[in-house]
Amino acid sequence: MMDAFLFVGLPYIALVVCVVGCIWRARQNRFSMSARSSQFLEDRQLLFGSTPWHIGIGVVLLGHIIAGLLPRVWSSILTVSGALFVIETVGVACSILALVGLGVLIFRRITSARVQAVTTGMDLVVVGLLFLQVLVGLLSAINYRYGSAWSTGTVVPYFWGLVTLNPDMTYVTGFPVLFKLHLVGAWLLILLVPFTRLMHVLVVPVHYLWRAPQLVIWSNARRRREAIEATIQAESRRQFIKGAAGLAGAGGLLAIGVSQKVVGYFRGPAADLEAESALLAKKLHRLQQTAEERALELERQRNDMILVARYADLQDAKGKYFIDYQMAPGLAFKGKDGLPLLISAKCTHLGCTVASDLDAQGRVLCPCHVSYFDVVTGKPNEGAPAKKPLPHLAWALVDATGKVVISKRPGSPPEGSVPAETLPQLSLYITKPPARIA
Amino acid sequence: MDVRAHVSVVFHLDKCIGCHTCSVACKNVWTDRPGAEYMWWNNVETKPGTGYPTHWENQNKFNGGWKVQGENQLQLRCQNKADAFLKLFYNPNQPNLEDYYEPWTYKYDDLFTAKAADDQPTAIPVSQVTGQPIDIKAGPNWDDDLSGSPIYAENDLNLDALSEAERAQLFEIERLTMFYLPRICNHCANPSCVAACPSGAIYKRGEDGIVLINQEKCRGWRACVAACPYKKIYYNWKTGKSEKCILCFPRLETGQPPACFQSCVGRIRYLGVLLYDAERVPDAMRVADRALVESQRSTFLDPHDPKVVAAALKNGISEEFIESAQKSPVYQYVVKWRLALPLHLEYRTMPMLFYVPPLLPIIGNSANGTYEHSADRFFTSLEKARLPVKYLASLFSAGNEQVIEAVMKKLMAVRHYKRWQSVRDLAENDVQRILREAQTTPEEVEEIYRMTSLPTQYQRYVLPPLQREEAIQSTCSPEACKGCSGFSLNPALGPRA
Repeated sequence: MMDAFLFVGLPYIALVVCVVGCIWRARQNRFSMSARSSQFLEDRQLLFGSTPWHIGIGVVLLGHIIAGLLPRVWSSILTVSGALFVIETVGVACSILALVGLGVLIFRRITSARVQAVTTGMDLVVVGLLFLQVLVGLLSAINYRYGSAWSTGTVVPYFWGLVTLNPDMTYVTGFPVLFKLHLVGAWLLILLVPFTRLMHVLVVPVHYLWRAPQLVIWSNARRRREAIEATIQAESRRQFIKGAAGLAGAGGLLAIGVSQKVVGYFRGPAADLEAESALLAKKLHRLQQTAEERALELERQRNDMILVARYADLQDAKGKYFIDYQMAPGLAFKGKDGLPLLISAKCTHLGCTVASDLDAQGRVLCPCHVSYFDVVTGKPNEGAPAKKPLPHLAWALVDATGKVVISKRPGSPPEGSVPAETLPQLSLYITKPPARIA
Repeated sequence: MDVRAHVSVVFHLDKCIGCHTCSVACKNVWTDRPGAEYMWWNNVETKPGTGYPTHWENQNKFNGGWKVQGENQLQLRCQNKADAFLKLFYNPNQPNLEDYYEPWTYKYDDLFTAKAADDQPTAIPVSQVTGQPIDIKAGPNWDDDLSGSPIYAENDLNLDALSEAERAQLFEIERLTMFYLPRICNHCANPSCVAACPSGAIYKRGEDGIVLINQEKCRGWRACVAACPYKKIYYNWKTGKSEKCILCFPRLETGQPPACFQSCVGRIRYLGVLLYDAERVPDAMRVADRALVESQRSTFLDPHDPKVVAAALKNGISEEFIESAQKSPVYQYVVKWRLALPLHLEYRTMPMLFYVPPLLPIIGNSANGTYEHSADRFFTSLEKARLPVKYLASLFSAGNEQVIEAVMKKLMAVRHYKRWQSVRDLAENDVQRILREAQTTPEEVEEIYRMTSLPTQYQRYVLPPLQREEAIQSTCSPEACKGCSGFSLNPALGPRA
């Protein structure tokens, strides 16, 4: 239960709070978004704290992000000989760099009176949590070597399980305590982002790379061009709000689904053993059914011929359904020459079962997208959604002794003959199609 | 031709008495807030002197402004696009609190709450940053009036250009020379702060050229503080945002001159519209140091020229604005009379604040202990002036002494002509020669005299109609709600989460 909370509940809470909180802060309190540098008040120690910390943690985070988001790319990098060793070494070195830098920053924050003047309680919480997080990460990297390799099979699927709303904490519940701490610390830090200075990570000014050096803003509507652009902007903003409202609605529904799932995840096993076993029984039953079906199918496959109907039951204008060797439906008619006419009933368009009644032109209708198939030629009507003809099936008529008296393969004339008056005593079988040459 | 209007200003240094009233007015209106105590958007420095922040002119230390690189390309001195990101963590070019001063107040309460004793109670100074008692070591105008001091004045970087003899002359005991240099944001036409801001929070207003920081977009990366060579952008250590002079735009928009202008005791300040060609600004700032002043002048446009007026109207500048540009005292001082010069144009930000260099110390030269003021003496003294031309050139003309000499000659011609008019102790021939040498006419001299000595407030401040009623964005009156101007005086909106 505790594991379920820490590795499934907490992540979802953290992600939702982080996303919603950041959007809220960016809209409601933009003024508060700042890196809140204290270089102005104290710059000597900052140089030896801030720079190593940011460079170290930047490299380490980049490794985490690449491995997490692009596990295949990451794995392919690891296959290069020596890469694992280099990555592990760089990772450990950068963690130590970050840890030392953060140590200097903490020392500075505690000892400098000026820096204390701009330090909030939350700052101390964040800086302490970060220190523990990096320390635990470093220790687990040293104790459980080659995490960059084994994480792709454990933490990454766990992470993607969370992302795809299919959480599976069994990937991580077996981990050593150190590693679990590192995971929980990560979720806590994500949770804290909107309430602390950590948010400055999200506003790194990447657009500086491509923006023009000078920036001029006209605030007067007198400039017609600008005024028109402003109107267009306002218009697009309105569109955006509409779209956002739609998205929010969808998101809300999704959230209901997710929360239901999350709640279910927690409540399911603990709430009711009986319901659980009933569910299990149902699952077993379904499996059993599937197995039986499969057995049946195999049995049919083993027979050379499968009984379709007695000849006497065949009609001219109404087909008789049967199941063929591919477990697909077929239709059996009495043809104009008195011999049986067997045709597949699986529409060549999207696989619906066609109707059994012939219309005046001798066609059957697929009710799904209205294709008419001529049963004699198998061809669909002009302009129908189906383009390919329905295939005919091979058949044989067998007498009471079990002897084949007449048979037919599609595209070839019937073999054998039979007087018309004896036909009603015969039975109609489909015969196994010739084995396909691979 | 991309005609733009710019609300620009002229400070007449001959008239500045160094009273700091402007600084105090600004402080009371804008920077009496937590985190802003140390800021002086307007400050007055004594020259020669090291200024505020100390040694702000030392671009080898602070790396402000632009440099010309390779094929006439302008490049920020403080950063390029790549290393700007590394400098987010620690900016080696950023001045710290020591470069300014630690702001303080006094424990006035102690005067009232002290127990009865033999000694008088004192109000000890306490830091406005930490609240702890401090030993005051510096202030915003710490070297005020201390030009003779070897500690402050001799460290003025502009003295590097001078020879030993010139230095000795400048610091001659009991005949010390100094003048005051009031400084606000230059609202440059080629601002390096705008170009350096990673967040894109700093911008130049199209209508009037005022450079502003959007407090909502500022993320406190501090690149602008380093990039501004005049150190006129200040980091508010409490809110984590940078702030700067806003040329009191809420006052301008309601038809009042900025607070520092309104309060100026010496009436040294002039404000008016200059029309300039924005297209030519980057090219104008790429030329060699010596040609910079002329190059900047060439970007200014004559508001009386019908072609310019037509282009301005086409560019959305209103007729009222153009009319205001035609009456602008700044246009007269800078373009027509060529008397006002920008400060440290070699930083290549193209400042739009101009100074009429001080003349007074030059006639302060004396021989044999007597005060010389005959016409001839004035000109011979120009080379031997107490305040060397080289020194003024390093401040106001990027080292080009001819520009300073031309200005000085014209300023002196005005004096000679008016003295001749009222006292009649100079020969008319001499006065005519002086006018000729200064390349001026009696009519122009009369105009300069009237604008320098007798202007009314409405001649000094020709405020353009900013048509705030037509503006998309507008602000409250600064008196009514300072917090609305973006600096967040409301503690509830403060950065403490």
